[in-house]
Amino acid sequence: MTDVEMKTEDKAQDKAQDKTKEEPKPVPVSPAAEIKSNVALIERAVATLEPRFTMRVLRTLTSLRKRLNDAVLREAVEEVYPKDSSIKKSLLSWLPAATSADHSMDIDGAPASSKPTSDPVPEVEIYLRLLILHHFLSSQSTYGKAMELAQDTVAKMQALNRRSMDPIGAKVWYAVERTYELAGELADARPMFLAAQRTSSLRHDDETQASLINRLLRSYLQYSLYDQADKLVSKTTFPASASNSQFARYHYYLGRIKVVQLNYTAAHTNLQQAIRRAPPAKVAPGFYQAVHKLSVVVELLMGDIPERSLFRHPVLEKALSAYYDIVTAVRTGSLSQFQTTLSKHAALFEADKTYTLIGRLRQNVIKTGIRRLSLSYSRISLRDICVKLHLDSEEDAEYIVGKAIRDGVIDGRIVHEKGWMECGGQKGGYGPEVAEVFQRRIGYCLELHNQSVKAMRYPLNAHRKELAAAEGAREREKELAKQVQEGGGDLDDDDSPLGEGF
Amino acid sequence: MSPPSHLPALYQELQRSFESRPCNLQNCGQLLAKLKIGLIEAGLLVPQPNSKLEDLVVARDILEIGAICSIRAQDVPSFDRYFSQLQTFYNDFSSVLPPSQREYPIRGLNLIRLLTQNRIADFHTTLESLPLPADEISSNPYISHPVNLERRLMEGSYSKVWHAREEAPIEEYKFFVDSLMGTIRNEIASCEETAYETLPLKDAATLLFFSSQSELVKFAQEREWQIDVVGGTITFAKKGEERVEIPKEKLILADLAYARELEQIV
Repeated sequence: MTDVEMKTEDKAQDKAQDKTKEEPKPVPVSPAAEIKSNVALIERAVATLEPRFTMRVLRTLTSLRKRLNDAVLREAVEEVYPKDSSIKKSLLSWLPAATSADHSMDIDGAPASSKPTSDPVPEVEIYLRLLILHHFLSSQSTYGKAMELAQDTVAKMQALNRRSMDPIGAKVWYAVERTYELAGELADARPMFLAAQRTSSLRHDDETQASLINRLLRSYLQYSLYDQADKLVSKTTFPASASNSQFARYHYYLGRIKVVQLNYTAAHTNLQQAIRRAPPAKVAPGFYQAVHKLSVVVELLMGDIPERSLFRHPVLEKALSAYYDIVTAVRTGSLSQFQTTLSKHAALFEADKTYTLIGRLRQNVIKTGIRRLSLSYSRISLRDICVKLHLDSEEDAEYIVGKAIRDGVIDGRIVHEKGWMECGGQKGGYGPEVAEVFQRRIGYCLELHNQSVKAMRYPLNAHRKELAAAEGAREREKELAKQVQEGGGDLDDDDSPLGEGF
Repeated sequence: MSPPSHLPALYQELQRSFESRPCNLQNCGQLLAKLKIGLIEAGLLVPQPNSKLEDLVVARDILEIGAICSIRAQDVPSFDRYFSQLQTFYNDFSSVLPPSQREYPIRGLNLIRLLTQNRIADFHTTLESLPLPADEISSNPYISHPVNLERRLMEGSYSKVWHAREEAPIEEYKFFVDSLMGTIRNEIASCEETAYETLPLKDAATLLFFSSQSELVKFAQEREWQIDVVGGTITFAKKGEERVEIPKEKLILADLAYARELEQIV
């Protein structure tokens, strides 16, 4: 909460500065000004060795990205760098030459603001490059330039090798990957990512390492290389100090790997983590939808039915509609309905890469069907099962029911001579499992509490003030005691019982 | 490096003995051993990006023949080795090399192999990484066969798996399907143990796909089933009802842990 307030305050200040320095701007703070204030923050971060400020800058990246254009970037570069800086020239060379309209704006702005006299820290250059890269990625015509810039920036970043650059570096890697992906050459970038990942792990550069592991996983999964992705996961440790968004991505990718390997419980845990750590649904709807799509399928594969309210969520409603149909089919245990739904939405599922996963649900449909039958009948002939579940033959029905009994889906037995299935009574709902579930939840709550205690920040030397205050209090107390001592006997009567009490 | 001069001759000989009916396995094995040494000398066994295309195609062909021969010789570990070598050709060189006719049969064989070894997780991982769009999985006969087998196995339609032997797209699949039967029989047996109390001998034989009573009796003895010869029934020993015990130690530990955590919080 405080962070958000701080940000809005900053913006308000920026606005105020804008108005005094330059001609009045429209109400939202201009992107160029925001970049400038961000640059100031980065300089402060480098000067005070506090990555916190850099983080704050990077948080605005998403909203800033959407408002970038050539003119804004030009203006920002012009104002951040001194007149004859070589870095400025190299940065400007990436941007198209300014049109006359832009020039007039530059000239308007330039004399008012004080020109910097020396080059800002290299972090600023990388930050500006990151912004330019994001700008290039927003339109298809500049992909080629984006690729050049990405390669150039990576080389530059690696040559500079500054620890204070790491948080920005992590974001740059994201942009680099995006560049390669949009150019359709993601596989070619893999060796570069792998090398960079090794370097960053040697340098304990957690943020970059987390970002790169995610980049690699994404590129593996893009090409369905689940084996390699799994090996990467087992050979690396994901840095615990990585940011939430990186963790959310990581858990999502892990979930995808696990579900392919039939490890549904683990996949479910990972996806839950991904959902919890993901930014709010409205901010990042794409990720939210993708995770939920997969999580619905995993829940079904585990034999659970996802909650109905999930499908009414405003962000998810539309995206999950096909999945809702599947859920209904599984819930009613109707194979024919399941098959028609599957073929109806095949293209969509394939695009989501969930087609084969949903294909695996077939057996769950049958299991749910048998379970429903076993709950509603105490004795049912195999023929009827066959008819109700649209199975091909009684023989099949017998094997299937046998398997269901062995797997513990239903409690009952088959009487072969009579050709029916007898269903056992329902087990009570209370047992050690309840305690286990309770324990899991409490465990989660306690973990959450401990994590949040750890996540609090304690400003350096803040306890000094308290110490001083305590010192003052002690002084006052002494004085009071003195006064009481001096002040006389008439208080003694009142004091004595209390004194004994102490 | 250019391939040694005797390689082409050996390769042609291999092709001849591979295509002759019946296939001369022993001869093939000897030729393959020689050819593999030749490939290593030419640096083609593990393909390099700068190798010539024609050489790569030949190398892939040799390995493919090797894979199929090892199935015919019922040598699964050897098939495994050939397949891992072929994977480089299939996955990393797919954009350069012309597609091979034998690629999907061999991929399918590999899928079935995973199925018979009960490596279901690997089966699905391999299936997901196939470079095929989802609708082609069901239309490609070589791939759809193992996929259907897996689906039926998971559902429990064992009789369909049994009948699927006739549907095998190429001869080599049958070898695996036969060995799959052993796995299935054990599956069915374990289902029967829990699902039935008693079962007539005759029906048990049909359920387990045994053609003669004596086979069934032998199998039943292995699994320690009680056979009532007079009544002609099998009785399955009921496992004792599992007693529900309160996991005392676990509960105590959990309570202590809660107490400790609460102490920290308050």
